[in-house]
Amino acid sequence: MDYSDTATRISLNVKAKGHEADPVKIAGKLRRLVEEFGVPPGEAERTVLNELAREFSLNGLGTPGGEEKGLNALLPGEWATVEAKVVSLTSSPSPAIAQSGILADSTGAVRFVVWAKANAPLLEDGKWYRFESAVVDEYRGSLNLKIHSGTVIRGISRDTVLIPAITPIADLTPGIGSVKAKVIQEWDVTHDRMHQSGLLADQSGTVKFVIWKEEGKERLVPGTVYSLYYAMVDEFSGRYSLNLNSATVVPEEGDIAVISGDTSFAGALVHIAPGSGLIKRCPVEGCNRVLSRQNYCPVHEIQPGFLYDLRIKGWLDDGKVTKDILIQREVAEQLVGMSMDQAKELAENNPLGTDEVFLRFRERILGRYLVCTGREIDSRMLVKSCEVLRFNPEEIAALLNRAGGSP
Amino acid sequence: MMASPAKGGFFRRDFEREPARRVFAGELRESRIHFREGDDEKSPTYVLLPTGERCNRVFLVGTLTEKKKQGDQNLFYRARVIDPSGTFFIMAGSYQPEAMQQIARIEPPAFVAVVGKPNVYETPDGAALVSVRCESVTAVDKDTRDRWVLDCAKATLDRIDSLGTTPDGQRAVQEYQTDPALFRKLVYEALSQLSL
Repeated sequence: MDYSDTATRISLNVKAKGHEADPVKIAGKLRRLVEEFGVPPGEAERTVLNELAREFSLNGLGTPGGEEKGLNALLPGEWATVEAKVVSLTSSPSPAIAQSGILADSTGAVRFVVWAKANAPLLEDGKWYRFESAVVDEYRGSLNLKIHSGTVIRGISRDTVLIPAITPIADLTPGIGSVKAKVIQEWDVTHDRMHQSGLLADQSGTVKFVIWKEEGKERLVPGTVYSLYYAMVDEFSGRYSLNLNSATVVPEEGDIAVISGDTSFAGALVHIAPGSGLIKRCPVEGCNRVLSRQNYCPVHEIQPGFLYDLRIKGWLDDGKVTKDILIQREVAEQLVGMSMDQAKELAENNPLGTDEVFLRFRERILGRYLVCTGREIDSRMLVKSCEVLRFNPEEIAALLNRAGGSP
Repeated sequence: MMASPAKGGFFRRDFEREPARRVFAGELRESRIHFREGDDEKSPTYVLLPTGERCNRVFLVGTLTEKKKQGDQNLFYRARVIDPSGTFFIMAGSYQPEAMQQIARIEPPAFVAVVGKPNVYETPDGAALVSVRCESVTAVDKDTRDRWVLDCAKATLDRIDSLGTTPDGQRAVQEYQTDPALFRKLVYEALSQLSL
């Protein structure tokens, strides 16, 4: 870690009071505190400043208050003083955190954390406060205001009505965002703590949403339009998702236009992955995992009462890029020309079992040109429709012209 | 020049699969340059095509005309696949059991779609031979073959049009002294056979 920025900031601070402090020495002290003693960098900065203040008998140097600014002007790594309204409180997963949630002012919104050690007064939802000397840091691209023991908190009275700006989904950035969007899909929850997940869309794009289990959290109704104020925008592997636990959810009347989100991709099917064909799924409600050959579910163990399913996992390749595709039952049945019942019969009456279905699938579609249309989720296309591309003799003439005629 | 992993990436999905290039036998046959990207034993190897594109994997469709089983302990198949411009030499050994079984089941002559990795070998007399180690070999119909010829013609013309504008393209011009007219002619002749 580089301490020179912090050290320079401290030495400038001291210099402003008419004393000299060597930034190199300061950086050394900071490093020692942070690396040897595990002090958080923000605290280390305070400690060093306090030490210098004592050395030069200065007052008012102790804590760098940071300038007072609007929430949209905060920068990671700095100290800041802000006046803002608590617009959301979220339950905190860790005992080290007393409170967490979202602060907003007329310029924007930011997440905040109050450390348990800060001994801060309990903040109330909907109230305005002045926070002096809080620290701004950054995690996965989103800013977070840390309220620590050095932060001075004072309730203030304001009657400004905050109207958060609605952001088009395509323009969301990590942090806090407000969108007006329609619930276009509801997905199976993939985690015990998850209450609901699905896909939101507006005219500009689509984004995944998650609501975690928490008292009083209601599910969104698919097909309904909502204004979602102060949702937490998280980034994971380059993809955004909206955590709605912090959000104020307002159902809206009427409908809005949304983009379909579907894309098409044409290419040759160059690989059919294991796990394609006739598969067995775990029958336990909400599980649906694929069972191994021995009907073993990684969570629910042996499940003789499995459910059959049909699918194709593979790679579609246009010579420039390769796309991971997942074709589900109905589309697969139509593409391969084999119904699930036929596949079951084939598997049950054949020594190779479900492998025979896999081999038939491979014979019928591997190496063929396909065009697939569907939605891309986590860089895999969930195929909604799929067709075999046929040879079109009309394309020859244009290519002959491109090749330049007979030399 | 390793591609840097995507931001925040630590999942397998950030691994980008090498696309299967479309190349006519007449062009693949002319390839001499093969190289490894990176120092690791598992780093991908590439064949540099004369029209200026690196290629780790190919997708080809043609007529399987001959196949030959070789070896005792380590069985492997060699086979010839013909396209309108020449012959591809393909092989599948015990490390490609699925492709080997597929070849075993197909009786020549038959149209086949092949996905595989090209390799350049030196023959004892100093000539170079390009052979494709198969990942899969599937019997297909004539329609798929004809569509591949169009696809391959388009891909080859795209490469010729951008020859010399990319680092690989510049390298190809330097190493092979590629004459674009020659490859345009190859494409033209391949397409002409379709219209017959």
